[in-house]
Amino acid sequence: MSGWLVRRALQAVATFAVALALLFLLMRAAPGDPLHRLSADRPISAREMEALRARYGLDQPVGTQLAAFVTGLVRGDLGVSIEHGRPVTTLLAERLPATMLLGGSVLLLNFTIGLWLGVRQAVRYGQREDRWLTTLSLTGYAMPSFWLGLVLAWLIGVEWRLLPAAGMQDPLLSSDSSLAVRTGDVLRHLVLPVLTLSIVSIAATMRYQRAAMLEVLRLPYIVTARAKGLSQREVTWRHAWRNALFPVITLFGLWLPILVSGSVFVEAVFAWPGLGSLAANAVGSRDYPLLMGASLLVAALVVASGFMTDVAYALLDPRVRLG
Amino acid sequence: MDMGKVTALMPRARRIDILVALATLTPLIEAAAQANRRPATSIVIVTGGQATLPIPTLMEGGENSVGNLDVADQLFLRLANLGPKLLTTGDGDFVPALASSWTRRDSITLTFDLDRRARWHDGTPVTARDVLFTINRAKSSAIAPRLSELLRQVVSVTAEGTHRVVFRYARPYAEQLYDATFHVAPLPAHLLDSLPPEQVARADFVTNPVGSGPYRWVRNVPGQFMELAAVPDHFLGKPKVDRVIFRTAIDASARLNLLLGGQADAMDIIPPPPDNLRRVVADTTLRLISVPSSTVGYLLFNQRDPKNRARPHPILADIRVRRAIRLGLDRGLLVQAVFGPHGAVPYGPVSQLLWIRRGAPAPEPANVAEARLLLAATGWGDSDGDGTLDRGGRPLRLTLSLPNTSGVRRQMALLVQEQLRRIGIQIELQQLEFPVWNERRSAGNFDVDFSAVSQDASPSGLTQAWTCTGGSNYAGYCDRRVDSLIEAAIVGQGDPSEIWHEALRQIEEGAPATFLYAPTFVYAVNRRYRSVTISPQSSWITLWKWSVSPTAVSDRSE
Repeated sequence: MSGWLVRRALQAVATFAVALALLFLLMRAAPGDPLHRLSADRPISAREMEALRARYGLDQPVGTQLAAFVTGLVRGDLGVSIEHGRPVTTLLAERLPATMLLGGSVLLLNFTIGLWLGVRQAVRYGQREDRWLTTLSLTGYAMPSFWLGLVLAWLIGVEWRLLPAAGMQDPLLSSDSSLAVRTGDVLRHLVLPVLTLSIVSIAATMRYQRAAMLEVLRLPYIVTARAKGLSQREVTWRHAWRNALFPVITLFGLWLPILVSGSVFVEAVFAWPGLGSLAANAVGSRDYPLLMGASLLVAALVVASGFMTDVAYALLDPRVRLG
Repeated sequence: MDMGKVTALMPRARRIDILVALATLTPLIEAAAQANRRPATSIVIVTGGQATLPIPTLMEGGENSVGNLDVADQLFLRLANLGPKLLTTGDGDFVPALASSWTRRDSITLTFDLDRRARWHDGTPVTARDVLFTINRAKSSAIAPRLSELLRQVVSVTAEGTHRVVFRYARPYAEQLYDATFHVAPLPAHLLDSLPPEQVARADFVTNPVGSGPYRWVRNVPGQFMELAAVPDHFLGKPKVDRVIFRTAIDASARLNLLLGGQADAMDIIPPPPDNLRRVVADTTLRLISVPSSTVGYLLFNQRDPKNRARPHPILADIRVRRAIRLGLDRGLLVQAVFGPHGAVPYGPVSQLLWIRRGAPAPEPANVAEARLLLAATGWGDSDGDGTLDRGGRPLRLTLSLPNTSGVRRQMALLVQEQLRRIGIQIELQQLEFPVWNERRSAGNFDVDFSAVSQDASPSGLTQAWTCTGGSNYAGYCDRRVDSLIEAAIVGQGDPSEIWHEALRQIEEGAPATFLYAPTFVYAVNRRYRSVTISPQSSWITLWKWSVSPTAVSDRSE
């Protein structure tokens, strides 16, 4: 097992290195210059442009820029954002907690409620509850999250004023408020964006889990378990569910990076101060250092989630590591 | 009913569930209650641009943003501010700020006397040393390339005593006072002059700036908001609004939701379409304020062939075609459709912010018949009857490039396409990602470019795009008479207003572009604020003079 783990870890590192080089080169190859943008709505002199180009190292050949980037990366320095004028690592560190909170909450709801409902549907296959949940999950799955976000923000935040329409905290909350009140304030702001993202993701997880469970529930060993007189709960959760987890683990591996990079619209609609909106703006402005920093983070997450998925497979099914 | 009896009747597990639910909900409810008891004399302003580095000499490149300027104008005072007429020439239309007065010694020397009551937020007096330090940093192209360009005419700044500074210029010109006062606000030398210039951007000062303005720095919550507090003993007077929050929401719908959902008291620039304005108007707690904007939008005609810049453009090099396009467009209708009543057709490349707009001639109205005649005179006719003009077997087809990020331009481009179709010109819309659009524009790779620029208060900025050697002249437009008129207006020979108008007439005559829109921006402010004025120079610069309605204060007090 340990040899297998080392091999997989080395593969992950190599994948990350290739991703890094490709990201860097593709970014430079894409049309659009980060400094031309500055002259879009304001006259900018050639001298000023030259000085800015030198400041951000953009006057150097691409190879030199890549070498400088890798050297900085080794030191933990991702450079200075062209748009924000601040170190990229600081910017990412500032925005990461908000993204983790939003993404983590969605993942938690997704893989508790989604799994539970999926299993419940499979166990009650063909019954009224299954049909209802199928209709609900298909509706949720078909709903575009940015549209849903706009509707929820308008209806609940503006028309009914039940919850904040946007933001992550109330800036006017008294500074001597207790930790509980401040936490409560963040939770109030969290509800709508989490709801928006969760409705779609829970629906997807339910569909996957239901299909996987149905397949397992038809297998002979489940019939044997029932014939042995085991309770429905034991058959479902101890015998069937474990073997129905594989497709869901794959789904988890896919969701993990998407929740960091894929909530751009929802972050924008709810003015949620996460990485998604920061990275989206960096794309629009060709802010190379920030874009590289954000892309590396997502690449690391993709590689890490792939690695974790493989490890989870290996733990659940010895054939994976032996084969 | 006694709650004790009720709980005693419940099973233990159920009781625990309820207790857990209550424990979870209590902070939520308390937070909601606190949100409804907002401090009375505060203001939350929701903006699209986040302040990232609101330090005068550091606002270069991407940091020269509205978000930074808005906050910097609260923290740092300039020597003087533009007056109500926004007149940038001469010495008359300026309002004292850090400088209590100024005098002209000769045509190239200005002296400023600093207000002796002025203090930095740490209590240290503002002195001539601070002004010298700041201007010297700003004039260094290595530190501040943008500012050093803007201040290139300032030869030296010297101190006479502790509270007088003397500016000397390279030559006489009309905007000397404007250059000395507008571009950069003084920084505290006692906190910064020991730091090497390259370390300032990473210094503590950047995260806790000490300024001289009516508001001091409190905190920045990245990506969310920036909080400022009133300086109670400020020498210009104590601000009546105690606490100012600049809250960021990049997405326009999120900004509107914050405003309409009661989470913000004011919003800058309600974005088109007009339906957004109707939603705000429907909220009776809000008042709308129209402010002249610095934006001007136009169709820029490339006079050089995009495929070979050495050759003239095969269609647009002919002035008659360019004029025909202008005459074929009902620009008033376009502005009305996109901006409603909050826009105007400009005469020349002049936003509503520029003082030279006053007294300028009226823009030429649409004249489709004249446009058709002009096109016919250049040999364009509809030989095959397909509705599109052609000449020598080639259709009159032009590409209109625009960035896909601009809703206003996307909407207006469709209307332009339709209006020009009526006179036989086929327009292909090319919506490009912003950096790609901008790169092509800078390289002169376009037929017609849908440009929109943001101008500062000085008309001298027109040299960049509308003179033969201007750095932003991407379309190959060159009229020596325009160059000499602009130069004469900048130097201030005769009546600058007359000369500027003559320059605009000459630009309109040459039709290097069709100037489409100069909008007014619409701001929304809660009605509980009084004495509300919004300056086109810097939206919230007069905030320290606002007050809060006494009735509203008691309603909202904790």
